[in-house]
Amino acid sequence: MRFLFKTNYRQDVRLFKHNGQRFWYSLLLAGVLLAPLLMDEFYLGELALVYIYAIAGIGLMLLVGYTGLVSLGHAAFLAIGAYSHTWFLAHGWPFPLALLKASLITALVGAIVGLPAMRMTGIYLAIATLAFAVIVEQVIVHWESVTGGFRGMLVPQAQFLGLDLSGSTAFYFLCLFILLICLLLALNILRSPTGRAMTAVRDSEISAQSMGIHLARTKSIAFAISAGFTGLAGGLLAHKMGYLAPDAFTILISIQLLLMVVVGGLGSLHGVIYGAIFIGLLPQGIALMRDYLPPAVSQIPGLEPGIFGFIMILFLIYEPLGIYGRWLKIRQYFELFPLYRKSTHKRQKSYLRTERMR
Amino acid sequence: MEVLQLLISGISQGCVYGLIALGFVLIYKATEMVNFAQGDMMMLGAFIAYTFINILGFPFIWGLLATIAAMALVGVLIERIILRPMIGEPPFAVLMITIGLGFILRAVAGAVWGNDPKSITSPLAGGVVRFGDVAVGYENIAIIVGTILLCLALYLFFRFTRLGVAMQAASQNQLAAYYCGIPVKRVFSIIWALSAAIAATAGVLVAPITLIDPLMGFVGIKAFAAAIVGGFGSLQGAMAGGLLIGIVEQFAGLYLPTGFSDTSAYVILLLMLFVRPEGIFATMQKKKV
Amino acid sequence: MKGVLFSARNLNLSFGGVRAVRDVSFDIGRGEVYSIIGPNGAGKTTILNLISRLYDVEGDGRMTFDGEEITRIAAHDIARRGIARTFQNTELFEHETVLKNLLIGRHIHRKSNLLTELLFTPAVARQEIEFRKVVEDVIDLLDLQHYRNQVIGSLPYGVRKMVEVARALCIQPKMLLLDEPSSGLNPEETEDVAFWIEDINEDFGATVVMVEHDMNLVSTTSNRVMAMADGAVLAIGEPAEIQSHPEVHRAYLGD
Repeated sequence: MRFLFKTNYRQDVRLFKHNGQRFWYSLLLAGVLLAPLLMDEFYLGELALVYIYAIAGIGLMLLVGYTGLVSLGHAAFLAIGAYSHTWFLAHGWPFPLALLKASLITALVGAIVGLPAMRMTGIYLAIATLAFAVIVEQVIVHWESVTGGFRGMLVPQAQFLGLDLSGSTAFYFLCLFILLICLLLALNILRSPTGRAMTAVRDSEISAQSMGIHLARTKSIAFAISAGFTGLAGGLLAHKMGYLAPDAFTILISIQLLLMVVVGGLGSLHGVIYGAIFIGLLPQGIALMRDYLPPAVSQIPGLEPGIFGFIMILFLIYEPLGIYGRWLKIRQYFELFPLYRKSTHKRQKSYLRTERMR
Repeated sequence: MEVLQLLISGISQGCVYGLIALGFVLIYKATEMVNFAQGDMMMLGAFIAYTFINILGFPFIWGLLATIAAMALVGVLIERIILRPMIGEPPFAVLMITIGLGFILRAVAGAVWGNDPKSITSPLAGGVVRFGDVAVGYENIAIIVGTILLCLALYLFFRFTRLGVAMQAASQNQLAAYYCGIPVKRVFSIIWALSAAIAATAGVLVAPITLIDPLMGFVGIKAFAAAIVGGFGSLQGAMAGGLLIGIVEQFAGLYLPTGFSDTSAYVILLLMLFVRPEGIFATMQKKKV
Repeated sequence: MKGVLFSARNLNLSFGGVRAVRDVSFDIGRGEVYSIIGPNGAGKTTILNLISRLYDVEGDGRMTFDGEEITRIAAHDIARRGIARTFQNTELFEHETVLKNLLIGRHIHRKSNLLTELLFTPAVARQEIEFRKVVEDVIDLLDLQHYRNQVIGSLPYGVRKMVEVARALCIQPKMLLLDEPSSGLNPEETEDVAFWIEDINEDFGATVVMVEHDMNLVSTTSNRVMAMADGAVLAIGEPAEIQSHPEVHRAYLGD
């Protein structure tokens, strides 16, 4: 077991707590940078998709995991990001600016959605975000001049300063680069007063107010940041999809994003990465599984969402801390061996209604 | 008399929303859990009725009763297997579980009955009653009458039986309810069975109007909006919200461009959440420190 | 260091048909330790909730703090004005460590904004270290070094109460509202409470307003006591006076 000897406060503020962390993450970074040499185009594309999901997941995790505001309509932010980015590209804006503007526009919409959030809690907010997502879908369908309605929009090739970014290797590095930046920004937020204010709002609104935290502003900021990250992911997703249509951003996508965040492990950025890998690889896994299943089962059209639902239920009942939580338990088992006790992680159930109110 | 016609359609559609919303609110009042799969339970009920009536040839009334019994059983099974481990967990987790449940129900329905729309042979189909210029289908009348009867039955049940009181106790403080000798887990099972039965009835009543297919449960989302508009802890609220949305939808379809009638439910919801988040019949509370 | 820090006039509040607070008026002097006592249901915690603006005063009641009117300010502004409070049933941030809980107390002293925090500029890093230094001072005062990195959910009740007070102290308030600081504590821990109330009052220089049931604690620490019953003020005076006051006896013990 590792004992850290801390000599100054800066060590607690830094991103990497000790050299061991730095070593392992550097190794991971090296592996990820070398991936194009080891994988073929298809898997590179899938990995890029995982990165895009992770960026969206960072957004959703900051909102749900860290601020405690449930959003059932995050696909709407993906859509806004995707459509805005495509529109800017089609109107001649250079790639990075188009992406940035799309992200900012989505963040603005997020802040507006967040304004009523101060008056709603829990389930009401979730439904309001759902309603918002449905309305956004309708807006996309009807605002034909901008979005092309049902006919959809063709996404221009990604290119910057003459460099073609649409090739699978180039796109892979683009997504990776943006993911790393997003991770850094998110980690910065989390170790600063804003991040703490967000978790305070999640854990106890009343005492957060007594500590001087402006509830409405914090919630709006959380929504704005979350939407900004998701819009960014939407812009990248547009390139991956190649062609935008309103039925690509349905409630199923919103639920998938939530699934990613829950299965990965609510409350940590590690959870986002694990969740993104899970969501990215799951369709492949199901496709592979289909070959082994009898045709009666494998031909069901609702099989994929059905399996999603099933896995979600399994995780929520048996491992609510998600994949990252399970990894932490496993690691703790080896660190504390043979003194590990399962009851360390025993779930605290709250039976009183007031305990569950914030 | 277009207005009257729309009104009647609105009321009957509103009754369907109201019935599903009733199921939501029942479960929420009793267990503090939000059941996002209520619409899909209605769908399952409709398919089970189809099996009894069309495939197995039961007469309509017997088919309806058998469906209600079957769905009550399904409700108990769902509660036992999936929801019971979640007692005491945060509401978000329960919400996600019921969303997952919805997915599974849709997949199962698609697997067992296929995705082609079906219809139930009903003695009410086709018949029309005329009040002057207004023609009202038998199905609509059946929906409205059925809803009224059901609401009356529920009202009497909760007002005058011990179960109603036990339910309220269990919903406010499960631990204390235990100590008072209330079999909390059994109360939960009964509530889920009741909710499932109500959903099934809604499914059978609405089947003659719309066709049955695995995705018909999506009206559940609108019903959810109805429950919130009405006030999420109140049974009258569920019906009131359902009727409001049903009626507004019909009129929106007439007076506003296409596509708006679909979103009108959500717009009403958002307006309500802005103006009066507790809904029409407020039961929301604030934590006391 | 004398003078009136906080003054309340004609405070009224009803919950439905129940009048929780009736026409309560009182002054709190700068630097004093002021206790509010009374049987259950007297409205003591409600007074604290009114001061910290979690409830709105009805009618024409007024509250002034440090020369400024605070009757209608928002709940999140009271910390900025210099009022901090603890809660009867500890309202800590359950999923965070003690350190994070205390750092949140420094929130109102924050000079960074969203943009600088996103980029985590050196100024933000320096601010974090400054915050940490203040927090460590409070940890030293209340002997919480042991528990720094533990998640609140795993802490025993006595420690939680300390963390709750520590968090309020990190605001560096002018006035500290304590809601039943000794409830749930054993006699030893209650003695400790008396000591650190003294420390807070003298070393930190904070005015302490305390809702309490333990008369011993009240008499050893307080300068003045206000006795309440049924939402109204019975008597205000020195601890000895109040303890022998006939009205107070009647309220607690009946006729």
